[in-house]
Amino acid sequence: MTRATVVGAGMTEFGQHDRPLTELFADAAIPALADAGVGTDEIDALYFGNAMGGQTETDTHLAPAIGTHLGLGGVPCQRFEDACATSSTAFKQAVEAVEAGVHDTVLVGGVERCTPATGLDTAAMTEVFASATHRQYEQPTGLTFPGVFALFTKRHMHEYGTTEEQLAAVAVKNHRHGKANPYAHFGKDVTVEEVLEGPTVADPFRLLDCCPFSDGASAVVVTNPERAETVAGEPVAVAGVGHRTGTVPLAEKESLTATRPAREAATEAYDQAGVDPDAIDLAEVHDCFTGAEVLATEALGLIEDGRGGPAAAAGRTERGGEIPVNPSGGLKAKGHPIGATGTGQIAELTEQLRGAAGDRQVENATRGVAHNLGGDAATTVVTVMEAVA
Amino acid sequence: MSEREPPITYADWRQALEDDALLGLECRCGAVTATPKRACPACGSRELAARELPTTGTVDSETTIAVPPAGHDSGTVAVVDLGPARLLGRIDGAVEIGDRVVFAGARTADGEPAPVFEPEEN
Ligand SMILES: [Zn+2]
Repeated sequence: MTRATVVGAGMTEFGQHDRPLTELFADAAIPALADAGVGTDEIDALYFGNAMGGQTETDTHLAPAIGTHLGLGGVPCQRFEDACATSSTAFKQAVEAVEAGVHDTVLVGGVERCTPATGLDTAAMTEVFASATHRQYEQPTGLTFPGVFALFTKRHMHEYGTTEEQLAAVAVKNHRHGKANPYAHFGKDVTVEEVLEGPTVADPFRLLDCCPFSDGASAVVVTNPERAETVAGEPVAVAGVGHRTGTVPLAEKESLTATRPAREAATEAYDQAGVDPDAIDLAEVHDCFTGAEVLATEALGLIEDGRGGPAAAAGRTERGGEIPVNPSGGLKAKGHPIGATGTGQIAELTEQLRGAAGDRQVENATRGVAHNLGGDAATTVVTVMEAVA
Repeated sequence: MSEREPPITYADWRQALEDDALLGLECRCGAVTATPKRACPACGSRELAARELPTTGTVDSETTIAVPPAGHDSGTVAVVDLGPARLLGRIDGAVEIGDRVVFAGARTADGEPAPVFEPEEN
C-alpha cells in the first residue's frame, strides 16, 4: 500500500561547507526539485529540519528564511527538531499530510553544520550535541553522545559477547561502502587495526567507531501517487513510516540494548507495508557509532538478537551480502549533518530503488528500509520504501 | 480543577542530592522512579509518593568518557541499578558491569549536581 510517493531527491556532499544554512539547504532543495521535475510554484508546503542552528549559528526561525530564499511564496513553511531524527519526523509529517490530502506536494529536507567551519571546537560541539541528553538528570554527569551509545554497547558486549573487533568491522564496511559514494564525507578505506589503535572517545568507542561532525543538506519531494504519474521524476513509493518514542533519561529504559522504539517503529512500518524483515533488500541505518549499527540491525529484525556484531564481521551486512546495511557508507562514512541525516537516508533509498546508485548500487533492490534515531534512540523513525514497477 | 501538587520536583531532588540522599517516587502500582515526574512511567497514575532510594546498587553499564563536553572533565559514568529503580551517575574509581557501588554524594560541574557512586568496600 503506497502512502505517498517520493519523486525527487537532492543532496549536497556531506563534509565541510562554509556558507549560510539557507544557501547550503538550497544546494540540496533545488536539485531535488529539478530531479522531480516540479517547479517551486507547485510546492504546497516546506517541512524543514534543523536541530541545532540556534546553538551553533545563532540562527532560528529558519523556515521562512529558507522559503523566501527558495521562492516558495507564502506557502506554509515549518521547522522540525528531534535531534538526529529531525528530518525524518519532518518526512513523516509530510507523508501524512499528502496522504490525508492536506497538501498535494511537499518539499521536505534538512540542513546542519557541525564542523569547525561553525567556529566551534570539539569540546564546544560535544556540549551542543549533549544538550539532547536530559537537562537535569544526564547533562550534569558529563555524559556525551559517544557515552550514551557506549553505555548501550558495553551492555550488549556483556550480554552477548560482542567484541571490539566486531564493532571495528562495522566501521571498515561502512568506510568501504562510502568510498563508492560521491556524497560521502570520507572516501578512504580503514582497517580493523587502524580502528582498534585509534584514540578512545568513550570506551569501547575509538575515534573511527564514531561518525564525524559533518555539514550538509538533503531534500526530497513528496507527492501523492496520482500526481506522481504526472511529473517527470521517477517515483519511489513510501509504503510505511513508523515512529515511536522511548524513555528519557536513559537509565530508566526497560532495556539498554533493545532500542524498543526502533522495534516498535519497525513493526509499525512493516505492518503498513505488509512485509516482513526478510522482504527487505537493503537498509540505511543510524550508525552514529559502530555499536549503534549493531543494535539497529537487530531491532529492525534483519539480524538475530545478539548476532549484530558477528554478522558485520562475517560480511552478512556488506553490499553484496545477505542484507546490505548502509551501502551509502552510513553516518560513519557518508557523514552526519544532524538535521540532514534523515532525508539523506530517504534520498539514498530513492536512488537505490531507482537503480540509479552507480558504483554503490545494491543489485535487484526493490524494497529498502531507513532507520533514523534521535538522541538516545528515544525518537526513532523507520521508513519502508519500494520501487514502483 | 483540583490537581495534586507534585510530590517532588527537580528542586527537591537536587536539594536531597546536595544533602547526600537519593530521592525518588513510588507509585501505588509499586513502580519506583529515580527522577521526579508528574506521572508513573509504568501505569500513568499521578498518585505518587516521595521515597528515599537505596544508596547501594549494581553497575548495569559504564563507560569512561575521554572526550568530555565543554565544562566537564573526562571520567566514568554508569547506569546504576539501585534495586527498585535505575539512575545515571558519575563514578569515582574504576568499575565494571556487575560491580557493587555505593552512593557517595553529589559532584557539581558546570553549576549542577550529579550523583556520584564509588566501588563498595568488600
Ligand atoms: Zn504506577
